Parts: sequence; C-alpha cells; structure tokens
Amino acid sequence: MNVFMRELKALRKSLVIWCLGIFAMVAGGMSKYGATENSGQSINELMASMPKAMQAIMGTGSLDLTTVSGYYGILFLYLIVMTTIHAVMLGANIISKEERDKTAEFLLVKPISRKQVILSKWMASLVAIIVLNSVTFLISHFMVDYYNKTDESYLIEIAKLMGGMFILQLLFLSLGTSIAASIEYPKRAASISTAVLLITFFLSMAIDLNENLEILTVFTPFKYYEAKDIIGGTGYDVLYITVSVLLVVAMTIYTFIAYEKRDLHI
Amino acid sequence: MNVIESNQLTKMYGKARGISNVSFSVKEGEIFGFIGPNGAGKSTTIRTLLALIYPTSGSATIFGKDCIKYAPEIKKEIGYLPSEVFYYDNMKVNDLLKYSASFYKKDCTKRIRELAEALNLDLSKKIDDLSLGNKKKVGIVQGLLHEPKLIILDEPTSGLDPLMQQKFFELLREENKKGATILFSSHILGEVQKLCDRVAIIKEGEIVKVETMSALTENSYKKFRLEAVHHVTTEDFQLDGVTDMKVKEKTVSFIYKGNMNAIISKIAEIPLKNLWVEEPTLEEIFMHYYEKEE
Repeated sequence: MNVFMRELKALRKSLVIWCLGIFAMVAGGMSKYGATENSGQSINELMASMPKAMQAIMGTGSLDLTTVSGYYGILFLYLIVMTTIHAVMLGANIISKEERDKTAEFLLVKPISRKQVILSKWMASLVAIIVLNSVTFLISHFMVDYYNKTDESYLIEIAKLMGGMFILQLLFLSLGTSIAASIEYPKRAASISTAVLLITFFLSMAIDLNENLEILTVFTPFKYYEAKDIIGGTGYDVLYITVSVLLVVAMTIYTFIAYEKRDLHI
Repeated sequence: MNVIESNQLTKMYGKARGISNVSFSVKEGEIFGFIGPNGAGKSTTIRTLLALIYPTSGSATIFGKDCIKYAPEIKKEIGYLPSEVFYYDNMKVNDLLKYSASFYKKDCTKRIRELAEALNLDLSKKIDDLSLGNKKKVGIVQGLLHEPKLIILDEPTSGLDPLMQQKFFELLREENKKGATILFSSHILGEVQKLCDRVAIIKEGEIVKVETMSALTENSYKKFRLEAVHHVTTEDFQLDGVTDMKVKEKTVSFIYKGNMNAIISKIAEIPLKNLWVEEPTLEEIFMHYYEKEE
C-alpha cells in the first residue's frame, strides 16, 4: 500500500501535464471544426480530392467531416497516439526507474517481495491511465457538445471510443512493463517501448495506404479500435477485443515472472 | 548461532567473474569486517546476500533461512546502507525516512529523531539539496531506524568527515551492544581495524583469509625496522617469514611472521644503530596477503 501511494504521488505532476496536453489537443482540434463547419460539404470534397496518402495520414478515411462526430473521429486518432505513448512510457518507466535512479538498493532491500513491488506499481499505473482516460472522456464530451448544433447526443459514441482507447492504454502499459521487467539494461526500456509503439503505428498507416497489407492488421493495435468502425459502422470487433485482452493478460503475467527472475541492474 | 552463512557462493556475469566460491560465516553479535580493494567482489557478495542479484551457484543463509527464498521475510530484520546512496527526488528527508519506516511494522518516529539528532541531520531539508555526507547520514538513519538485528554496511564511511565517522562508529557499537550483528565492508583497513572482531579478506572474487582481528594484528606479525651501521642488502635478511622488505641504504623494514629467535639471531649478526619492533598496521598485513598470492 505504501509503495502504491508513493507511486501515485510521484505520478501526480506528470499526469496533470498530460491532461493539459489532452485538453489542448481536443480544444484546439475542435475549434478548427468550428471554423470549417460553415463551409458545409466542401470540406468533404476537399478531403476526397486529396491523395490517398494524405487522407491516411490525416486519418479521415470514410469519416464524414461535416458532422461533429466525424470530425472528432479524426481527433480520436491523435488522442489514441497520445494516451498510448503515455501508457507505454509510464509502464516502462515505473518499473525501470528504480534501477535507473539506483533506488532499487533502497526499495528492494525492504521486507517486500518483487511481486508486491510490481503489483503496487501496476495498480498505480492503472489509476493513472484511468484518470487520463476519464479526463479525455470529459473534455471530449464537453467540447463535442459545445460544437454540436443538432439534437443528437454523442455521449454513447464517445464512451465507446473511450472504451477502445482504454483497452489500447492497457495494452501499451503492459507492453512497457514487460519490456522494463525483462531487459538487461533498464535505461533503454522507455525508448525500446516507444519504438515498438511507433513501429506498430506506422504499420497501421502503411495498411491504410496499401490494401495488400491488410493481412498485417492484427499486428498493429492501432487498427483494432478505429473511430470509423466504432462510431461509423460495425462497432467493436470481437476478434480484436479477444486478442487485446489475451495480450494484456499475457504481458502482465510475463512482467511479474520476468522481474522476479532477473538480476537487478544496479 | 551464525547469522550469515555463505556456502560456496558464486556469481558470474556471463563469463566475467563476480565472486567465486565465497564461504564465510558471521556469528551472532559479531562485527565482521569484509575487506578488499575496489572490484574485489564485496558489493557483489552483499547484493547476492540481499537477493538483489541471484547466485550462479552456491547458497547463503541469513538467520538460518535461505537468503533468496525467504528474502522478504529476512529483510524485516536487516538494515542496509549501500555504498552510494540514491533516493527519490523531490522528497524531504523526513518523508523518505517515514516512507522507509512504513515498510516495517513498528513505530520508528522516536528512533528517527534520536538518530537524526545524534548525526546532526536536518529532517526538513530536501534530499536533492543535501551534500554527499549528509545524504550518507540519511542512509545511516534509514538503515538503523527499525533497529535491525543484522546491519549490512557497504563502504559506509565515504563522504563522512572524521568527526561524523567517529559518531557513526559509536552508534554502531551501541547497536552491537544491544545485540545487533554487523557486516562491515570496506577498502579502508584502518576503520575495519577500529571496529571489527573478525575480518574476511577478499581478492579477485575469492576469500583469501578469514581471521580474528587480534590474530591478524597481535599474534603473528611483527613489523621490524632497523638502522645498520653499514650498508645492508636484502640478502642479509633472507629468512622464511620475512615479507614486504624495503631496503634504503642503511635502513631496512620488513614484516615477519615466525620464530622470534630465528630472526633475532639473524639481526644479531649485523652491527646496528637502532631497532624498532612494532605491531604492523592492517594495511601492511593486508598488502602482505595480496603479494603472497601473486
């Protein structure tokens, strides 16, 4: 419990900064919608006339940019990138910092098992990603509502998107912890984890650009919960939910086992 | 009863040597010195005992329990001061000590205050702002605040001024009197000499010798220094048991272990101006152990 509280305290400041970042992203992004809204259909035509590569990079795809939810759908891609980077770095750092800052010789000589250490850190990280997710949800809801001129409420749609985002956060959190718990040089944990994230992200873009790569979709979590599917059409895909949950469970268990077995790098 | 019992403890880092076949035991209530130069394997041994790293082969017990398997349980009664102290940034001394105390199921507030007072440590300062010596003091308080039965110190005096060192040694003696066992690692032999009952000498990952302090310093070794009338050479003192010989024109010094009559009769052959027979410092004995191995 004491380690859990200590970690929460340590996370406080960075969490506030991340929340501010999310706010800036959503507020800034949605204010652009306010500006384009008046131009009516033309924004869709403009997007459609762009090369496919540009569309993929903008993340538009089949989203209708004249609607507030469609516009938010584009923003959602960037929100996912932000929150997953947060999660993967959080996971990598919360484990590796004890060795990086050489505090392992303090914490790990206390009457506490390594499993308990990981559990406390994992729980603290879970709280952090839930907070970031909830804050994103609230900000998104209010900003979308502010620009929403119709009677339709988008609360459910946004909640669904946040559900997908939460699973992705969990996925990258456990990726970060499993890398930090197993590699020989903990200092590199954050950079390796972020590299993995970027590779999967670019893979998801490559798939958007080239339909032949569709078969690789399962390798990039960024394709698991796309706004165009969740709010536009088919909803959650059971296959991807199953894959993500299995990955989260497997990587979390691996984190505990790997950290228990290896020498601490002091 | 043995508080620590190390049995053929070996740690390899890949193919590189950490420690090999380290065996020694520390009795209850003893102050046990662990000496060797930097890189000899002192920290590796201690970190293995504390289950921060795992042995490649061999085993060790603390309080009769396997030090890896029962690590969390054993650590309730261990206080540890690492050679370099690093703490969480942005924490005040008091917060850190309270955090440290929160791992032990007892109230340590009073003890923290006592120790801080004895060491002249300001509890309200931020750890980041402390000097190396003051950080070390935080480490000392942190290691002693739960009144552990076994205190493990890895080069504890670096950064402390001589006056503080003295205070620190007093604290350790007090703890020892109350029944605490102490494992004290150092490369400075003078301080080990001041404090310890027995010492293990470690070199290149192996224990060279375990001996009581008194046996090391009193019983066997004598330091001879003499000034002759004429020039002398090393050949004049060729005798079993003579080591560390230094000849400079008419003066000679060496360390001798063996039959006193033999060396005295040898010296008697040489016309002397002056003669000193002294207890060697541990440094000199230590060098002697090292040279013998080479």
